[in-house]
Amino acid sequence: MNFFEKLQALDRRWIYLLVALAITIPLVVVFDSKTYTTTPTENIYQLIDSYAGRDDRAIMIDFLHDASTMSELFPMEVAILRHAFQRKVKVFTICFLETAAPLVDYAINTVKEEFPDIQSGVDYINIGYKPGALYLPIVLGMGDDISEAVKTDAEGRQLANLPMMEKIKNYNEMNLVIETSGSGFGASWFVYARPRFGVNVAAGITAVMAADAYPYIQTGQLVGILAGLKGAAEYEKLVDLFAIHDKPFSREIARTTHVSITDDTVPYKFKAARIGMNAQTVVHILIILFIVIGNIGYFIERRRNKELN
Amino acid sequence: MLENISNLVAAFLTLSIFSFLWKDNPFYRFAEHLLVGVSMGYAIPLVYKNVFIPFLYTPIFLQRQYALIFPAILGTFFIFRFNRKLAWLSRYPIVFSMGIIGMGVPLSMHASVLVQMRSAMLPIMDINSFIIFIGTITILLYFFFSKSHEGVYGKFTKIGIWYMMIGFGASFGYTVMARLSLLIGRIQFLVHDFLKLI
Repeated sequence: MNFFEKLQALDRRWIYLLVALAITIPLVVVFDSKTYTTTPTENIYQLIDSYAGRDDRAIMIDFLHDASTMSELFPMEVAILRHAFQRKVKVFTICFLETAAPLVDYAINTVKEEFPDIQSGVDYINIGYKPGALYLPIVLGMGDDISEAVKTDAEGRQLANLPMMEKIKNYNEMNLVIETSGSGFGASWFVYARPRFGVNVAAGITAVMAADAYPYIQTGQLVGILAGLKGAAEYEKLVDLFAIHDKPFSREIARTTHVSITDDTVPYKFKAARIGMNAQTVVHILIILFIVIGNIGYFIERRRNKELN
Repeated sequence: MLENISNLVAAFLTLSIFSFLWKDNPFYRFAEHLLVGVSMGYAIPLVYKNVFIPFLYTPIFLQRQYALIFPAILGTFFIFRFNRKLAWLSRYPIVFSMGIIGMGVPLSMHASVLVQMRSAMLPIMDINSFIIFIGTITILLYFFFSKSHEGVYGKFTKIGIWYMMIGFGASFGYTVMARLSLLIGRIQFLVHDFLKLI
């Protein structure tokens, strides 16, 4: 039995072990790797940043996923909230899945630890869980009056009485909805709310859905997407590069400047996606090697079988 | 202290699920069943508090909006799915749900078909729009089954196949990336939150 035949008959558990090592080692031994930002991510960043410091503008994050896709979506939610809290952008959070409700709290609390001045009802409103059956009435109702469509926040307070609502009424003010989802890509928002009220829609999605979402960027129905862990890593970089230093966004600087992740000044939770992308890079190289070796073995065996016949 | 305990439980359950990679075992089955049970156990009181109380109990019993009794009764018809003789009753609430889906058809047509078509009909100004133009035409020709894929026509449909293969490859690459991201998330939890190696 030669090398390639042995490889063809290799127990799959050895492959699992190699993949586990290829992921674990880069996570433990953190190294600097370049994160290149892409236009769909930059578009979302730019739009959110344009609302900085304004009481009459807000964004909404719709958490449409449970813990199963948290690895990809949670870092992007944390990065967006960090950007918003740092640049004083008003934020609404909402979820229509009951299992997403604790994730909303978790994301807000994770970021709030670093921003003690941020107050619920003043800087952000967590609308919390609303039944899926009310999805459509709420999406359409918010076009007229947000406080009428959802009435209460997660703590049971009347939305209309909260200070943040003083200058925010409907989609004219809350002009960007970002759906972070493991099953859709903002479709309900750009199908129902965008044509009727002109609200901007963006999506934070798992990588598996990214290929399906790109045509909607081309048509302008989505202002941008954060595609999987890579999208989250890009956004983390933009926040570190511009928002944290209160600098205006520049596409040229974003694409040419490198941000170190081995620096201890940035908490782990704000660079989790970039560290994860290190592991992703190493394991991708390993998978490419598997594919190449597997194919060489396949062709050698096929030629040998032909010769034998 | 509390965080350590919760991390210990989460790490045990993570490793229990991973143990399936070796072979099926009681730890894996325990973790799997626990996940289903906890999800349901969490959802029931949350739905009771956020749906039943504000949208049914309060309006009917405190605000005396008795008209809501009819949709409430209609909703309970879903339970009859479990009874073979009365299962037909469960179709009535489904009819209402289908009505809401029907409401979305024109808007979905607009967003997913008309707008997409409009953007495919723009003048060919650059290489990207030319590539999209060729791809759209050749793939549409591939799915035209009334003519056999032979000769010049067959060559065009073959280009369509190549476009689709590249599309499938991109989707598959993204799928691999997504699945690995899930594994990375779990290992990040184990090495950072649980073992505190970084």
